Amino acid sequence: MLSSLRTGAQGLWRISSRALQTSSTLQHDSLFVHRDTPEDNPSIPFEFSAPNQKRVEALLAIYPEGHKRGAMIPLLDLAQRQNGGWLPISAMHKVAEILNLPRMRVYEVATFYTMFIRKPIGKYHVQVCTTTPCWLRGSDAVLNAIKEATGCEVGGNSPCGKFSLSEVECLGACVNAPMVQVNDDYYEDLTVEDTKEIIEKLKKDEKPKAGPRSGRFASEPLGGLTSLTEEPKGPGFGVQDALKA
Amino acid sequence: MSLGKVFALDKVANLFNIIRQNGGLRGVLYKLYRQDDIKDGVLVGEDKYGNKYFENPRFFYGRNRWVEYADRYHLNYDASQIPAEWYGWMHYKTDLPPHQDPSRPKYKWMLDHTENLSGTTGQYTPYSTTRPKIEAWVPPKSA
Amino acid sequence: MLRQPLTRALALGSPTRLAPVTTRRYAEQAQAQPEKVEVFIDDQPVHVLPGTTVLQAAALAGVEIPRFCYHERLAVAGNCRMCLVEVEKSPKPVAACAMPVMKGMRVKTNSDLTKKAREGVMEFLLVNHPLDCPICDQGGECDLQDQSMAFGSDRSRFTDIHFSGKRAVEDKDVGPLIKTIMTRCIHCTRCIRFASEVAGVDDFGTTGRGTDMQVGTYVEKMLLSELSGNIIDLCPVGALTSKPYSFAARPWETRRIDSVDVLDPLGSNIVVATRTNEVLRILPRTNEEINEEWLSDKSRFACDGLKRQRLVTPMLKDSRGNLTPVEWEDAVVAAASALRDCPPDKILAVGGEMADAESLVALKDLVNRLGGENVCTEQYFPMEGAGTDLRSSYLLNTKIANVEDADFVLLIGTNVRFEAPLLNARIRKAFIHKETDVAFIGPKVDLTYEYMHVGDSASLVKDLASGTSGHEVMKRLQSAKRPVVILGADQLKTKEGAALLSYTQELASKLQENLQEKDWKVLNVLQRTTGQVAALDIGYKPGVGPVLASGPKLVYLLGADAGVVTREALPKDVTVIYQGHHGDQGASIADIVLPGAAYTEKRATYVNAEGRAQQTLPAVTPPGKAREDWKIIRALSEVCGEGLPYDNLDEVRSRLAEISPALVAYGNVQGNNYFAQALALAKSVQRPVSGKLDVQLKQLEDFFMTDPISRASPTMAKCVQAVLKQKQSPY
Repeated sequence: MLSSLRTGAQGLWRISSRALQTSSTLQHDSLFVHRDTPEDNPSIPFEFSAPNQKRVEALLAIYPEGHKRGAMIPLLDLAQRQNGGWLPISAMHKVAEILNLPRMRVYEVATFYTMFIRKPIGKYHVQVCTTTPCWLRGSDAVLNAIKEATGCEVGGNSPCGKFSLSEVECLGACVNAPMVQVNDDYYEDLTVEDTKEIIEKLKKDEKPKAGPRSGRFASEPLGGLTSLTEEPKGPGFGVQDALKA
Repeated sequence: MSLGKVFALDKVANLFNIIRQNGGLRGVLYKLYRQDDIKDGVLVGEDKYGNKYFENPRFFYGRNRWVEYADRYHLNYDASQIPAEWYGWMHYKTDLPPHQDPSRPKYKWMLDHTENLSGTTGQYTPYSTTRPKIEAWVPPKSA
Repeated sequence: MLRQPLTRALALGSPTRLAPVTTRRYAEQAQAQPEKVEVFIDDQPVHVLPGTTVLQAAALAGVEIPRFCYHERLAVAGNCRMCLVEVEKSPKPVAACAMPVMKGMRVKTNSDLTKKAREGVMEFLLVNHPLDCPICDQGGECDLQDQSMAFGSDRSRFTDIHFSGKRAVEDKDVGPLIKTIMTRCIHCTRCIRFASEVAGVDDFGTTGRGTDMQVGTYVEKMLLSELSGNIIDLCPVGALTSKPYSFAARPWETRRIDSVDVLDPLGSNIVVATRTNEVLRILPRTNEEINEEWLSDKSRFACDGLKRQRLVTPMLKDSRGNLTPVEWEDAVVAAASALRDCPPDKILAVGGEMADAESLVALKDLVNRLGGENVCTEQYFPMEGAGTDLRSSYLLNTKIANVEDADFVLLIGTNVRFEAPLLNARIRKAFIHKETDVAFIGPKVDLTYEYMHVGDSASLVKDLASGTSGHEVMKRLQSAKRPVVILGADQLKTKEGAALLSYTQELASKLQENLQEKDWKVLNVLQRTTGQVAALDIGYKPGVGPVLASGPKLVYLLGADAGVVTREALPKDVTVIYQGHHGDQGASIADIVLPGAAYTEKRATYVNAEGRAQQTLPAVTPPGKAREDWKIIRALSEVCGEGLPYDNLDEVRSRLAEISPALVAYGNVQGNNYFAQALALAKSVQRPVSGKLDVQLKQLEDFFMTDPISRASPTMAKCVQAVLKQKQSPY
């Protein structure tokens, strides 16, 4: 009786000790195989527009003969921009055709880089940085504000179809945390109010002013300079007398 | 011990008794031909297939009960022709023959006895349930 | 004469294992050998060429370093990290497969650091590898299993039983031959490299990255290759397995018999895996001279055709004209009396595409003894000029392995990719690694590599031969140091065939004259079938045309299923005897059917397109009442009253050796000469040619079903359907 109780207790302990180690599923939010959808299938034609055609030629001209495949990432980026921020499969096929490469080689590149988005996306792609510095400076509140204002879930599109929201890792603007990136623009030093205002302006298709919202020009200290305040010294400063000409 | 026994005269008497019981000289020859053995005994009973069951306690245990198969089997008799009812009596599981045993069950669903059909056309042959390893070509039939 | 019995005795002693280890001469002549460097593998000195990798050096020292991604015939990827070894004075373990040796390098393949590194790599691989070995088809021949036994840790730290993040990848559909269980994939990328380097079909790749990386095609796409089955062998785990063989057997249950493939003219070396008298699968066997270690899909997967549509019992036509099964005695007596009663010059014997040399010689001897001369093959070959008297005019004289060393290949009317897939793999190898250029005369086809398309007119060959062609190919041919000209045997079937052959011979001999290496052979004729070379060697007349026109009374088809002899072409009162293993075109027109054995069921000699004799070994017994082919003919001859003078296989082979020693020199190719003489004889048949060259097998779907075995194979039928379906798809 006592021994079976003990065994039971030990078993419980073992289960709970293992439960301590349980790790969560770590899966990417996008799919690495292609599925035909009405918006994205190979029968939808894709052609570079006339101005982009010129850009394609310019891009190809950068790379020497025999190494034209180096132009793949710029071309894919061009195609993504032309197609409203996402990259349909027919655009990949077009790039493969231009570079005279097997399509698989283009798929490989397009799936490797997270900035190539392979499913339809809103006009404004809002990317919220939630890495430690931004998170410490309140990126959670910013994220929630955006969710509320746009109706997006993370990794999804808004009901109106205008916005897409993603959580991203460090975008390299830690000094101006918290920050979001909307398409190509950084909006930094955000508060919840700033965020809401940005989203409202975007809803009206106005372009909010990019950059820090705290009144800073760039990433200088908020309370003014604390060092390097005096005039810069002239040439020859601190050099030994003997060396002065 | 009588004098007759000393000179084995009772055996001679038995022989005549056996010959008489088995239907005379002709009958004895027929039985010797058919079952290599002639015995005298009491007819205990007969089953519905015509097999006759005999007993004679003079023979030692194990040989004191025997069956004479129905004539229609001729030489093609074998032990599986003894129905289940008589099986017990033949094998000394019981001393009560079926017609004297009131406790024998009798149900409508009980099947008729069948003898062992192995070696006959009626035998059970298992068939393969797997696909043949080689599928042969079937020539086209001209109409 | 003395050499003969000796070589045969050797060959009989250890059959096809005698695959010659002669290295290719031409590759080594190419450049002067640089000085070798000395390296130490486990303190054992080895001298290797600079540029050798540590792994190769270790192999020379007899030390095997575990690996997953490294493969001798593919580019080095270096991504599995299993081959990490400790190198003295190196701060970190280095990947042996990608590290070139340096002078005085000391490699420790058995040090604690190396062992620890291997254990660590193995542990990481197993973290995301499913524990489904009991239901995995690779079980028993799995590199991961073997290496985790040999090099892995003896215990697991994987106590996290509630871990739900174990990688799971959806399976891909890459056609009816390859089953994918992508969760088992360890990302060695061997399949990707094979597809892009050897098969030339860039459809495999890696998508995603990090823990989400997966190997696949990204879109739903079948692997449209004739060599796709090889990625099953390449896959070190059970991610890519054979679909027809799935859940069929474990490797330790099967008996493996070395044999030779007969479904294409190259005679690839194979291993037939059998169990309970059933061919379960066919795997390639390494032979550097022929197939390296690859095998074409038809040769590999058509083996299920050996179980269908088989002739298992002799058959005779009954009074109502239906073939009915009879005993051997009746069939042999009927066939023999038909043979005896027929006027000898009205007998036509036809050797089929998969007939072995033994049965061919027996049939020819029988017909000759009866007084007949009409023994023919199905495939035509022009008899004008030198005809088949000189062996060099119908063989691949350059030899398959030497094609790699060619610097210019001219293909005339042959789609090598489907007629001889492994020869095409060689050309592709040369194209990729040696910058060999290829030119092609014929219809536009996909050869998996770029080629100069000269045109499809036969007159182009004439222009090239006379030197009047202004095409760039002319200049390239003339400047080439080792040119190769390959003429497809299909082109010789036409009326212009003789002239075309003659022009090709002229072109080849002109090129040959200018060569510095006098022993380099230029002229090649690529036969379409396995039986043709042996039949021509034995003395069969190519083509049935003239005899068929003269109205034979008796036709003896020895596995002739190509459809060149039809009921319509024959007189009404003709008797057709068919001997073979499949109920195909031949059997359906026959009056008497004699069931023979297929190539997996008999010990028989086959001569490949190079003229290399090789023998198959019996892996299973012939089904039902079928018998070995030469024995059937031997029995027939006895009943005819013209008993053939051989009673066992060795005696048949002595007879073969009498005809041509090359037929029993197993594994060897005899050098061919007399090109000039052949040309001199052929000059007379040169006349203007105007036709267009066309090839029979243009697309992948034409490739799969070309002979009685593959036509009977359900897997091949599925392949054709799948390819046609894939062609409809936009990808």
